[in-house]
Amino acid sequence: MSTRARPDFSFIRGVMTNGVTMVVVLYVILYAVYSHIEAGALSVSAFSDLVNNTIPLAIAAAGATFVILLGGFDLSVAGVLSLVNVVLATHPLDGAGGALISLLIAVGIGAAVGLCNGILVAYGGLQSIAVTLAMMILTRGLALVVLDAPGGGVSDWISDTLTNNLWGVVPASGLVAIGVALLWALFRRTDTGVALYAVGKDQTAAALSGINVKRTRCIAFVLAGALYGVAGFMLSAQTASGDPNAGAPLMLLVFASVALGGTAFSGGHGSLYGSMIGAATLMLLQKVLFSSGVQSFYIGLFQGLVMVVAVIFVNLITYLARRSHRHA
Amino acid sequence: MKTLKRVQRWIAAGALMGAVALAANDGIGTANAQAKPKKDKYLIYLSLSYSGNAWQSEAANVVKALAKTPPYDKLVELREVISGTDVQAQISAYESMIAANADGVISFPISPTALNRTVKRGCEKGTLFFMYDGTVTEPCAYNVSYITAGFGENTAQQLVNALHGKGNIFLSRGVPGNSVDKRHTDGAMSVFKQYPDIHVVAEYYGYWDDRTTQQETAKALAAHPDVDGIWAQAGENGAIKALQAAGKKLVPVTGENSNGFRLALANPDMRAAGLQGVSSGSPPATAAFAFKLMMEVLQGKRKLDTHNIEYPLPWVPGNQVKVCAGDKPENGCNTFPAGKVPDSFVTEVFNSRLLPELSLQSALKGEATPGQTIQPLPADAVIAAPDQPGINCQKCSQRADAYKLTKVSAAVK
Amino acid sequence: MLNSKASGTNSNAQPGPAADNLARGEDTRGAVKWQRETVSAAGVFVVCIAALFLSRLINPEFGSLHQLQTILTLASFLIVVSYGQGLTVLIGGLDLSIPSVITLGGVLTAAWMSTLAPGGAWWQIPAILAVCAAVGVVNALGITLFRIPAFIMTLASGIIVYSLCLGVTGGTPGGAAPASLVTLMSGRVAGLPLVNLFVVVFCVIAAFVQSRTSFGQRLYAMGSNAVAARIAGIRINVMTVSTYALSAAFAGFTGMMLVGYSNGATLRMGDPYLLPSIAAVVIGGSSILGGRGTFAGTIGGAILLTIFDMVITSLGLAQGWRTMISGGLILAAILLQHEGALDWVRSIVRRRRSTTTRI
Repeated sequence: MSTRARPDFSFIRGVMTNGVTMVVVLYVILYAVYSHIEAGALSVSAFSDLVNNTIPLAIAAAGATFVILLGGFDLSVAGVLSLVNVVLATHPLDGAGGALISLLIAVGIGAAVGLCNGILVAYGGLQSIAVTLAMMILTRGLALVVLDAPGGGVSDWISDTLTNNLWGVVPASGLVAIGVALLWALFRRTDTGVALYAVGKDQTAAALSGINVKRTRCIAFVLAGALYGVAGFMLSAQTASGDPNAGAPLMLLVFASVALGGTAFSGGHGSLYGSMIGAATLMLLQKVLFSSGVQSFYIGLFQGLVMVVAVIFVNLITYLARRSHRHA
Repeated sequence: MKTLKRVQRWIAAGALMGAVALAANDGIGTANAQAKPKKDKYLIYLSLSYSGNAWQSEAANVVKALAKTPPYDKLVELREVISGTDVQAQISAYESMIAANADGVISFPISPTALNRTVKRGCEKGTLFFMYDGTVTEPCAYNVSYITAGFGENTAQQLVNALHGKGNIFLSRGVPGNSVDKRHTDGAMSVFKQYPDIHVVAEYYGYWDDRTTQQETAKALAAHPDVDGIWAQAGENGAIKALQAAGKKLVPVTGENSNGFRLALANPDMRAAGLQGVSSGSPPATAAFAFKLMMEVLQGKRKLDTHNIEYPLPWVPGNQVKVCAGDKPENGCNTFPAGKVPDSFVTEVFNSRLLPELSLQSALKGEATPGQTIQPLPADAVIAAPDQPGINCQKCSQRADAYKLTKVSAAVK
Repeated sequence: MLNSKASGTNSNAQPGPAADNLARGEDTRGAVKWQRETVSAAGVFVVCIAALFLSRLINPEFGSLHQLQTILTLASFLIVVSYGQGLTVLIGGLDLSIPSVITLGGVLTAAWMSTLAPGGAWWQIPAILAVCAAVGVVNALGITLFRIPAFIMTLASGIIVYSLCLGVTGGTPGGAAPASLVTLMSGRVAGLPLVNLFVVVFCVIAAFVQSRTSFGQRLYAMGSNAVAARIAGIRINVMTVSTYALSAAFAGFTGMMLVGYSNGATLRMGDPYLLPSIAAVVIGGSSILGGRGTFAGTIGGAILLTIFDMVITSLGLAQGWRTMISGGLILAAILLQHEGALDWVRSIVRRRRSTTTRI
């Protein structure tokens, strides 16, 4: 049977089986539902509010993706977020220059924690879930030492500019997210980026083909930590104050976002874009549930159901596509 | 493969662009309501940060009960939103409420500082924000709370009096990193520091939960079996259970307002074994008071100049515990019999002067009391609260006598 | 390898007892006797005892019989819950719905058991455990049938169960603990707390089930290599369902114990047990990838965490410093499980054995 006469579905199949596309479709559907229920949903202010709320979770999920692509866990996200938040709130630096230095401090703190994680996991051979759990407790304690009750003040430049819209339309925080996405696109093209996926898929094969597995692992944790620092920076911009418990509620949400975004927890499969859009979906879901008037006790019921249904949906599409591929 | 990736990126970018384009086309939608004429239907949101302990549920229930009491049942559309302990979820909820043109938001804020920007935007749009029990430092919001009334220092002095100025004590605190816990503890320590013979031998966090307090007290008792007194925030009933389980004699315990604690204070066997103390602390009735205040302001019946309102500190020493006969807190009774409510039920949810419309069913189920209508608040109901930096004001300083005693005086020197 | 070289010099002579044993199917080489898992479990207990001795320096009351009883009572909840978590980790999964199932068990116990009779009918306990186990069954169905990752499935089911508890109780769980559970948690037998005896009996039975029964062996096989296990005839789906059902049932029972301890249920009663259960399992030597670890190690991990907690709380430091010390101690405990360290200990033990006995 000639394959010429058949239209080439492999392209469409490829698009559909990719987790990112599915979560984008899910997000668009959810947004359509939201704008249907809520009258003011399509306004600039509503959209920029949504973006501002989503960015800390999205960037934190982006960071966690690095570690999950390797098949590991990174629980330290909660501690790093809290630590960065209290440091920025207790040492505000004025103006745009101060904001840049604050960003570097945030990234530095996150990367340092990531380096500790990376050394212990990659070179020490310890389990990532255990090490990052201990590091989370350590950083949470350090955040309490720095600031023992909510307070402090983040510099005005950070909290005003980064929650505002540029030219009245584009949320500034959205630009930060796009920046992170662009950096990821660049990273994917580097040797380390390719090595990341290789190590996640099959560590032995990667080692045999000459990849320095330990170094790749360590770099992944450092990059994850750096992104947590950026997420903490954006969280500080949004709340404009410090709270030693700021990061705690985000921990499980981060992993839910990564899973929604189509990244496999076994490693080697998935992407950062999916995690960020997965985070956006979760935050949008909150708004949809609010507007739909669901009785507030049962909001959790719907959140859990949506998470499960979304993952089933992605699995189903992937399974069907793979089946038809085999038959072709 | 590469083409595929590129196509996906375009799809994602396209979706985002499309949304932005739609937004730009539709423009800014919501109207701006500055002046507030008298309306016949007010949209009020009840925003909790989390539910699932007795205090939070009772506070929400009494607000719901008031909203169902005539004439508010026709006047008010009350919607409840629970955001969880995630401050961003509450920020998102506030933004949705503002976008929905709420007339008022009555809320338990999860953070005293993180919500300020959103609250300010809401105030500019004309929404009234009334916070109960928890406070925010944003000047345009109204804070109705007992927190400035000195729970920490007054109960500490009571404990010192009971111990005659010397002994080993435990400090059972709330949630680490929380400003309410800090205020209470700072107030208590300001009193304990004045007595060199009072030693704080153990300080732990009970997370305002009976069970956690019981476990932590048990751990502390293992290390210091010879404790003489316990200063506790919420969860105090757990401390008493731990004392009993350890088989030791009971000691003076000061705590908050759980029904189980008050019954224990009045129990003759326990008193004989050494238990004495005072039941003070956070009253869920604050929520109902804040709601009535907000409705009176919205309807133009009251002008509120002060933004920080103090709810009087409950104060029930052991010898003033009075068990209620029926379902209504009348004749000065302040505790319910053992089977009627669970031990963790917070008793300070009634106030015969400010909130005569409430009964037990209001607190337990959120139902209006049959036959009751909303009574206006007395003219002198509003007491201004002092400034407390980090709690209810931003650029302010603490008064020198912020920790002065109001309920009890030092019986020892 | 080295050992066989050492015995190889004797190979010209009569084959020794080791060879006989090997022929019979028993492997008595020193390397096998001292399995890594035994060493790691023993190591955790050694650290527990060391921690207790060191804590005496901080406070002379530590190390007393009363304190040991308190430790065992307070650790009992974590031990029961960690068994269930350990079983799911053993097959390479994870159970994040534990806090909500603990709450479910507690809420059902407090609300339902006291309504029928003050002591509650005996059949109510298995009924409540069955309801909790049903949550585990749903988890396992999602994981096996729909290939949802265990992390997400259990996280989502936890959120759903919590939301249902919240909605049904309206925010305030009512009721009180039945007399049977109160007796379990606070009664005494021959001077010892009843709950301590219960924990000891539970640990013995649970460790036996995990390590010595064919059910346990099959779990180890599934965790080590699921494909090989399937080829060997193990019914993966059935085993997964049983494991998650057991995990949920134990979580539900922990909820019942908590209700008996404090005579009431609250809606967040399970939250303090999620991360510590994972920590106890990992400190006890289990691998998060599955296939390794013993319950003995997990018990040691749970007790160690409780001892750390007690000791740190008795330090008069600010909470921030206490939390940091706690994190540092957990990190140190995890370093104990480092494979290099364990192999080093094993090699020392083997060297000592081989100098005293001839193989």
